[in-house]
Amino acid sequence: MSCDGCSVAFAGAGNPAMEQFQWGTLPGIPKVILHHPMFSEHSGDAFTDPYRQAAAGNLGAPYIVVLEGSVPDDQALPSGGGYFAAMGTERASEWLVRLAPGALASVAIGTCATWGGIPAAAGNITGSMSLMDYLGGGYRSSWGIPVINVPGCAPVGDNFTETLTALLSWANGIGNPPLFDELGRPAWMFDETVHRHCPKAGYYEEGVFAHEPGDNQCLVEIGCWGPVVQCNIVERGAQNHMGGCMVAGGACIGCTMPGFPDKYAPFYKAPPGSAISGGISKVYGGAIRRLRRMSMKTGNREPMWDNADEIPSAFAAAKGPRSGTDRFAAYFYKKLQYNGTVHHGKRYKKQPLPKSRDILTQKGVDHSQSVDVLREKAAPREEI
Amino acid sequence: MAYTPATRPGEGRGLSGTRQVNFDPVTRVAGALSVHTTIDHDRREVVEASALATLFRGYENVLEGRDPRDAIFVASRICGACGSSHAATAASALEMAFDLQTPPMAVAARNLLTATEHLYSLPHHLFLLAGPDYSEPVVRATNPELWARAEGTLARGVATHGFERISDIMSALTRVTGELYAEAIYMARVAREGYVLIGGKFPHPQTTLPGGISSTIDRSDMNVYMLRVVKFFDYSRKTAAIWDDLIDFFYEANPRYREVGARSPTMIDFGHWDDPWAYDALYENISRWGEARWCTPGALVDGRLATTDLQRLHGGIEEDISSSFYENWSGGGAGDSSFPANHPWNKETIPAPAPPSGSKYSWCTAARWDRQAMEAGAYARLWITSVANTSPHRLFCEPTGSGMRISIPQASLPATELEWHVPQSWGAFERNRARAYAFVQTAVTAYDHVLMCLDLIRKGEGRMATPYRIPKDSREGVGLGGSPRGPVSHHMTMDKGRIESYQVVTGSTFAASPRDSSGRPGPIEEALMGTPLLSAPGDESYIDVMRAIRSFDPCMSCATQ
Repeated sequence: MSCDGCSVAFAGAGNPAMEQFQWGTLPGIPKVILHHPMFSEHSGDAFTDPYRQAAAGNLGAPYIVVLEGSVPDDQALPSGGGYFAAMGTERASEWLVRLAPGALASVAIGTCATWGGIPAAAGNITGSMSLMDYLGGGYRSSWGIPVINVPGCAPVGDNFTETLTALLSWANGIGNPPLFDELGRPAWMFDETVHRHCPKAGYYEEGVFAHEPGDNQCLVEIGCWGPVVQCNIVERGAQNHMGGCMVAGGACIGCTMPGFPDKYAPFYKAPPGSAISGGISKVYGGAIRRLRRMSMKTGNREPMWDNADEIPSAFAAAKGPRSGTDRFAAYFYKKLQYNGTVHHGKRYKKQPLPKSRDILTQKGVDHSQSVDVLREKAAPREEI
Repeated sequence: MAYTPATRPGEGRGLSGTRQVNFDPVTRVAGALSVHTTIDHDRREVVEASALATLFRGYENVLEGRDPRDAIFVASRICGACGSSHAATAASALEMAFDLQTPPMAVAARNLLTATEHLYSLPHHLFLLAGPDYSEPVVRATNPELWARAEGTLARGVATHGFERISDIMSALTRVTGELYAEAIYMARVAREGYVLIGGKFPHPQTTLPGGISSTIDRSDMNVYMLRVVKFFDYSRKTAAIWDDLIDFFYEANPRYREVGARSPTMIDFGHWDDPWAYDALYENISRWGEARWCTPGALVDGRLATTDLQRLHGGIEEDISSSFYENWSGGGAGDSSFPANHPWNKETIPAPAPPSGSKYSWCTAARWDRQAMEAGAYARLWITSVANTSPHRLFCEPTGSGMRISIPQASLPATELEWHVPQSWGAFERNRARAYAFVQTAVTAYDHVLMCLDLIRKGEGRMATPYRIPKDSREGVGLGGSPRGPVSHHMTMDKGRIESYQVVTGSTFAASPRDSSGRPGPIEEALMGTPLLSAPGDESYIDVMRAIRSFDPCMSCATQ
């Protein structure tokens, strides 16, 4: 009951990569043989032979069951009455019954296998469910582990391969078992909300929000659920530390969460809670933003420019001396900043201006007739 | 690595006589596929074949009754290989229903995303799925005489791909350990690094929406993106050179390889990559904006171009369920009498699971165009665009009427021009060759779009989306897009702000389709019937059957939703 997207995510992982497991080049990790319909050498019975051996208990090696996709209610159909999901023409759900009890561990990859996902959403016509729902709350693998869940639609590939690494190194006798949360998620990845590491969270803090798709600010008002979704994609990146939904301007739709998709639908609509939290953020964040801009006014000037009372760039909008208010604010700010320590502002005041400053004018070059092309053509910039 | 031929417990392993051979499942294809065949071991050829889609998830049913805004993110998840294509196609369907114009930058960015998705998908097929069938361990086991010959055959494209002999190419194609296998995994990751800068994540982009895209694209994104796309100049032409050498080698060793997976070139594509200024999502203008696409829509029947009119292509789609696990419906969808009763706008999905039998055996519907079994894929797009010779976008790709000249800018290798020619025969090997050339075409098309996005940023035309309201009256919408495996269409009807019906047809629905009510087999079935077994006497791996199936690059997640 999958779209193969989790396999595609797995193939894209780099930390570690799929092929490193197969080559056996990961320190402390045994070599892994991958039996996978998308990557295996053989078709037909030659492909399913190892599955049969594992079910009969004579594979001769520990095995991990990884389920991609949700489990349809095929076992409720009459025996010999067909299937919604089959491997070959045998029900995939039947293979799970045969293989899960004897496995070292059963791992659900992706939101379909972990929580049911799209096939189990409202309108579910196949009776689809998650691996946990199917195997039941009492399930333990032959090594005593409940179902492990690596959610995401599709998951970050590295999240899966890293979980596998943690599991395999422990199974290989190295260190403690990895830490999973109460829903079987790798705790070190899913403990935090995605908002906490979001590059746009700073906008939220300052009370500025995107109004239209493509705007750079916090995406809550165009339908982002990030503040209440447990995920690590913006911190880890989607691929080799690049991308990640909100990094690229995509609003979070909760695809790692058990409530996905229905509890986050309709998409592109602001979550109702954001009216309160966003409203509060606009008030206090707006005040914080203004104070910060004030500090930035001094920070954006070399101390030398304060002494010379000019900014030596034709780009600069205000070239002359600072306004009285700016000077006043800066005076008190520095007073506080350097209180009890060295006052660099005072030290700098005593520093003479370099003699060769503005050398071209000194040499007689006349700029008064030149046109600043870049500035003439530049699009007006919004205040940050 | 030792190659052990497939064994078939419970069946007589005799190499004589005519008997049923089932491939349950077929591996190294996307999604769940089984193929059941009858093989005459004396004449050494496939006599009968059935393609079985063995997975049904109910996406169309899940979409019914929803807020139309859900369609893009739900429909994207139909396929984990080409979610971008489904997302963009769903967006088009909504735009038509909402009467919504999309800004040029958003169209260009979506085009770039789907092109990048192909840059991941095409080498994934050529080297991870199909490639191992031509690798050293497989060829050594199935055709020792070919391996000996390969060791003595110099590769013509050595200057481009660096492999001196054909046997070197075959060794590099070895699953897991081969150099070309590993390189394809790596390059797929490079494509995805670019993709996620605009799409957010891969698969399943997080930025597509009705009327545009929500990406924040600046020059840094385009800079990093461009550096990744440029890597595909050398890689794609190397891929084409490798497949040229391999295919020519097989043909020279045994001309009968042309018969593997052979069928008449009857194929369909809806065209691909909308012109940002021509696309207006209006049904009445569909023929005009269809013609303006980078790749031209069209249907090829027995090698002749039947039409390039997108409206005609859309109108001719039908889904037949005579051999599929569904019940008949009545009065489904829009009930639009100007379209056939089996047209997706009029169809309903009522699943009825049953064991595969003679009459009903697949979850895939028998998708037909103009009542004909069409195959589809990146190669069909290349072929149709070549012979139609009407594409207005010729910066890098110049159709000639009988092929396509592709200019590849300089990267590590000097700039060059490649030409793909319409093949004399059509079968498994030519599908892979054309797919390799379509890969080159896609690489330069992606670059074309990088340049266009940069240009739009420079001109200050960076608007990403048009605001919309969800109409409350009755509407119909169709998205006709493209995926790495051919056309994708999403047919939606809505009323009172809710989706009434949502039907999806893809290139793989056409290619992997079962028999229709007139008994006509689907393209994969047709191509298998008559496929010769050319492996050494005594070999029972049916490698040529596998080559034929995989040459279609079927995606079963797309074929059946």
